[in-house]
Amino acid sequence: MFYDMVSKSGDNRQYRPARGRPNRQSKAEMMKRVLTLLVALFLAGPVLAQGGPLRLTITDGVIEPITFAVPSFEAETPQAQQVAQDISRLVVADLAGTGLFREVPAAAFISQVSSFVQPIAFSDWRAVNAQALITGAVTARGDQLVVKFRVYDVFSGQEMGGGLQFAGTTAGWRRMGHKVADAVYSRITGEGGYFDSRVVFVSESGPKDNRQKRLAIMDQDGANLQFLTDSSTIVLAPRFSPNGDRVLYTSFESGFPRINVLNVASLGRQQLSTAPGEMAFSPRFSRDGQSVIYSLSNGGTTDIYRTDLATGQHLRLTQTPSIETAPSLSPNGDQIVFESDRSGTQQLYIMPANGGEARRISFGEGRYGTPVWSPRGDLIAFTKQNAGRFHIGVMRTDGSEERLLTSSFLDEGPTWAPNGRVIMFSRETQGAAGASALYSVDISGRNLKAVPIQGAASDPSWGPLQP
Amino acid sequence: MQTPGMYISAAGHVILIGWLIVGLGLKSAPLRFETMDVSIVSSEEFAALTVAARTPVPGQAEPDVLAAPEVEATPPPPATQEPPAPALPPAPVTQPVEETPPPPPPAPPVAVVTDQPPVAPAPPAPPPAADVAISPRPTPRQAPTVASTITAPPPPDSRVDDVVRQEAVPDQAAEAEVVEQEQEATAPPETTTEIVIADEAPSGAVETSIRPSARPNRPAPPVPVQTPAPAETPAPRVAETPPPAPVPQDDINALLSDLGAEAVAPAAPAVAAGPPMTGAERDSFRVAVNRCWNVDPGSVAARVTVEVGFSLDRSGQVDGDVRLIGSDGDRSATNTAFEAARRAILRCQSGGYALPAEKYDQWKDVVITFDPSGMRMR
Repeated sequence: MFYDMVSKSGDNRQYRPARGRPNRQSKAEMMKRVLTLLVALFLAGPVLAQGGPLRLTITDGVIEPITFAVPSFEAETPQAQQVAQDISRLVVADLAGTGLFREVPAAAFISQVSSFVQPIAFSDWRAVNAQALITGAVTARGDQLVVKFRVYDVFSGQEMGGGLQFAGTTAGWRRMGHKVADAVYSRITGEGGYFDSRVVFVSESGPKDNRQKRLAIMDQDGANLQFLTDSSTIVLAPRFSPNGDRVLYTSFESGFPRINVLNVASLGRQQLSTAPGEMAFSPRFSRDGQSVIYSLSNGGTTDIYRTDLATGQHLRLTQTPSIETAPSLSPNGDQIVFESDRSGTQQLYIMPANGGEARRISFGEGRYGTPVWSPRGDLIAFTKQNAGRFHIGVMRTDGSEERLLTSSFLDEGPTWAPNGRVIMFSRETQGAAGASALYSVDISGRNLKAVPIQGAASDPSWGPLQP
Repeated sequence: MQTPGMYISAAGHVILIGWLIVGLGLKSAPLRFETMDVSIVSSEEFAALTVAARTPVPGQAEPDVLAAPEVEATPPPPATQEPPAPALPPAPVTQPVEETPPPPPPAPPVAVVTDQPPVAPAPPAPPPAADVAISPRPTPRQAPTVASTITAPPPPDSRVDDVVRQEAVPDQAAEAEVVEQEQEATAPPETTTEIVIADEAPSGAVETSIRPSARPNRPAPPVPVQTPAPAETPAPRVAETPPPAPVPQDDINALLSDLGAEAVAPAAPAVAAGPPMTGAERDSFRVAVNRCWNVDPGSVAARVTVEVGFSLDRSGQVDGDVRLIGSDGDRSATNTAFEAARRAILRCQSGGYALPAEKYDQWKDVVITFDPSGMRMR
């Protein structure tokens, strides 16, 4: 509004000279009038601006965790006493573990929620500055478990969404707790959760010069660790299928790297057919899970291929003398991001899913590798090596807005949480006694933390939310 | 090198020197010498003379004699003139501050003259303990003005105190701040002495804005304003929430609202919109909401700008629902961004936003645009 007025004053100024022959006096008078008008308009601006409601624009907020309170879930049956507490604690751990939320300790509670159906005394929760309140109840009969919960926006005094209820078995109480946490997370942030998901990775043991490797799977928080293979052969780069029922990995069982498809439930294996002498590695499922894109090295060249799992039909996607590897499909399956040294150094490129002209997207200093397209589709995570350090970073799909999230002696192999909000990767410490471990970091670069696993681990692949 | 100037200068010097030599302008006044006839007298004669002549000789005798009597005699004149100046300053510092609570009597006691040394009067009346801490600050200020006007201040002091205490009453709501404001209450007495100076200064300048005249014109705009706001509410849920929003308030809030109503009462008749909100007032309101606007830079909601509207009651608290007016994002992200904005507005209102009561018409309806573009990850 102010600018408009200024422009008007400018119009006046141009109009004046047309009145007659300008001389020094008239110019001075004109300037005086213009200045007077400007001052008048400047003073009148705020007055005129008061014509409607008070309008403000806020551009600077604060970045801090949202405070939440979780009174221990009500046990509706005597048998549910312990599990109710356990689930309550698990929900708190999941939410607080994201770094986006901070628990209001129970010791600060002014009032308790003794019944799931009782009305909420919001003033009590406002007093302890709990922005969100999660109440729940657990019923256990035999091995059947039912968990229900509600989420409240304390300061508006409104419930966020309706109440939800999950039914399962007592043995699966952790999954039910994760489900509750996912729902709470989703209602508060508006984005999907990732707590009820699993991660497949390479579990390592033994000295560095004789490292035993085997595939393992666990909950995203490190619980329920299970091994999928033995340590008789070297295994690398496990990759979850889109629905989490299968795992692709590279095995050196035959002396050459070959790609295997492992059924997580039955542990049955299927090997991708390759010609003798060919080395296949770095596999990933297509978005529909029906085909596999991977690198095939033959005759000194390494290119990207796609193989239909049902028909075994191969399709070569790149045809260059350079090394192309680490392909990753976009969420909609239209494009593939991969790494190539065709420019002389290891860089990231994007090409159509069926092959074609590739477009380089990384132009920073150092070498880029292991690109992974975000489930959201807006970012690409990568490993960057520069100046003797390794980084995990993200960039826009056009290569812009590159941000390095971590830095260490050796960080590599990023994998996205199902909601595209967290990245897990492996970090290896320096020295002969150095070991690899799994870490996770928020895409904002905050909340870097180690995933609690017994023993060394590397090359994680984050699976989808479980049904 | 020879210039007319040189000739003129030379001629001038010659004339001057010649004049001095001739002595036309010099008149040597003979030095004055006072002579006195001296005669030699014997010791006996001298003694006889001295006894009779002591009175005229002021020399040594005066101090001894004056010491006792003059203390009583001389003070009167100086008391009114200068002596008080140096002596009074300290007195008022201790007296007015501590005595302010009690009635004026102690101040006038002109005890200034006698009290200064003992300072006894000051300590006996120590009702406000906090006052002691405050007294030091005003001290330096009084120094310049105290000299001439100290006697008069006592009466004004009592007036100021009364006024200030009335202001302190509302402050009781703010528990922590009460202490500070009490300190301000004690300061007034000192400020009264300053007022002398302040009077000369632009004390009323702040309120001088004659803008109020423009108010009568504004009553019109506020009316149309209200209509658009409710009309724009697209979100149906907004309508559902009304009951919980006004949520039960604490006693303190109720008290504040009562106070606010009283304060507004006089303003009520003036239906016209108050004076325009100043930049500082708008900024302070903006900052108050800023503090509670929690942005998650990594979220999709951080890419959404939402515009929310709400109404405030006269105590500065949200009256009714916070409404979503506009957004540039999808439904899910918009909902999250709106909830964050609403949370910010409701969280930080606590006892009500500090807004000028006389300008209620200017801020009873508020529309805030929450734009996180500057906080997104890059």
